[in-house]
Amino acid sequence: MDVLIIVSLVLFALLLIAWVAAPTGSVAHAKTEEAPSGAAPASSAQ
Amino acid sequence: MDAINGADTAWIMVSAALVMLMTPGLALFYGGMVREKNVLSTIMHSFFILALVSVQWALWGYTLAFGPSQGGIIGGLNWIGLNGVGLEPNTDYAGTIPHQAFMIYQMMFAVITPALISGAFAERKRFKAFVIFSLLWATLVYAPVAHWVWAVGGWIRGLGALDFAGGTVVHITSGVSALVCALVLGKRLGYGKEPMQPHNATLTILGTALLWFGWFGFNAGSALGSGGLAVSAFVTTHLAAAMAALTWMTASWIRHKQPSVLGAAAGAVAGLVGITPAAGFVTPSSALIIGFLAGLGCFIAVEMVVRGRVDDSLDVFGVHGVGGIIGAIATGIFATKTVNPAGADGMLYGNPGLVVTQIIAVVVVALYAAGVTFVLLKIIDATIGIRVTSEEETLGLDASQHGEVAYQS
Repeated sequence: MDVLIIVSLVLFALLLIAWVAAPTGSVAHAKTEEAPSGAAPASSAQ
Repeated sequence: MDAINGADTAWIMVSAALVMLMTPGLALFYGGMVREKNVLSTIMHSFFILALVSVQWALWGYTLAFGPSQGGIIGGLNWIGLNGVGLEPNTDYAGTIPHQAFMIYQMMFAVITPALISGAFAERKRFKAFVIFSLLWATLVYAPVAHWVWAVGGWIRGLGALDFAGGTVVHITSGVSALVCALVLGKRLGYGKEPMQPHNATLTILGTALLWFGWFGFNAGSALGSGGLAVSAFVTTHLAAAMAALTWMTASWIRHKQPSVLGAAAGAVAGLVGITPAAGFVTPSSALIIGFLAGLGCFIAVEMVVRGRVDDSLDVFGVHGVGGIIGAIATGIFATKTVNPAGADGMLYGNPGLVVTQIIAVVVVALYAAGVTFVLLKIIDATIGIRVTSEEETLGLDASQHGEVAYQS
């Protein structure tokens, strides 16, 4: 099998592991619509 | 003379329409991310450029970009006003479609490139300054760089650098110029002190969908025909976008504890940017890897720009500048002549020199775009003024620049 296909499979597996290990949504994590004063500006990274 | 092929011509016309749709898509993508008081002005940036650069391209942009080369630096004025650009094929560029089809397809690239920059100066640039800047930038940055990289006789093309659909010509030029714009204009009033949340994320997602859809014309259309190469570019484009969307969303999930919808959208765009220079030169598995690299790399870049307190309002440098650089270098690594015999083999296929060539192209184009953009901004600022007054900025650009508001409350 092409090594690049193996790398692709490994990367996708890493993403799958991250999804399983990632925190589930909760009220504690939820952002309010009005960010507190001094909050960083919106960014697509967030 | 080659015969015109109906299928090729139809595909390029459809592709031109697809790429055209990307600019209004970009308007929605950006429009959703700004505050409510600036949505119309932000949409206007893209919409106005669609009209402005279309006329500029017909009058002098096309001939400067693709006209007979003057020493590899710029095209001659032979085709000014589209003089001599007719319905017979131009075999230098596309031997099976009318010359006008090639011209109008390239026009759509010239349109969207300065529109991309507008995300960096959203919410604070005078409309008059924006108009002058966009016209000068399209003439003095886009046209020469397009000539260097794509035109027959262009000096970067002569080096052997690869750029299938505009990673260097479109995304590096616009991304780097956006960073210069953000630095020269300075931050928005209240940046870092008050919330500047996207006012309508659904607009942004709709814009992303239109961009993704249009990108099939952008990349697969760059095959300039309707055969296997177009199919290959179509497949790699979609795979890279998908992989990058997953990667950015995952990175934001880990970093910020929740999977961001806007992050998935930005990731898709990052993947589309990353695959753009490589789309017609790489295999599907390479496209997946490039998507991963673009998604992760652009996410990190955007985080760093925000942390550096640079107000690149809508992440143009992080997504298009860095995504374009990642894609250009990745092309040097993953390109293979098994996909496109007219291309070149990259590092993984025994030709490490292509990476060096790609890096040279990236550095030269980035420095040129940054330098010219800086000079243009300084000249415009010294003459007509580049930034709205603080009162106008507080009121919002929709009301202060256009006398209209997006939403009636």
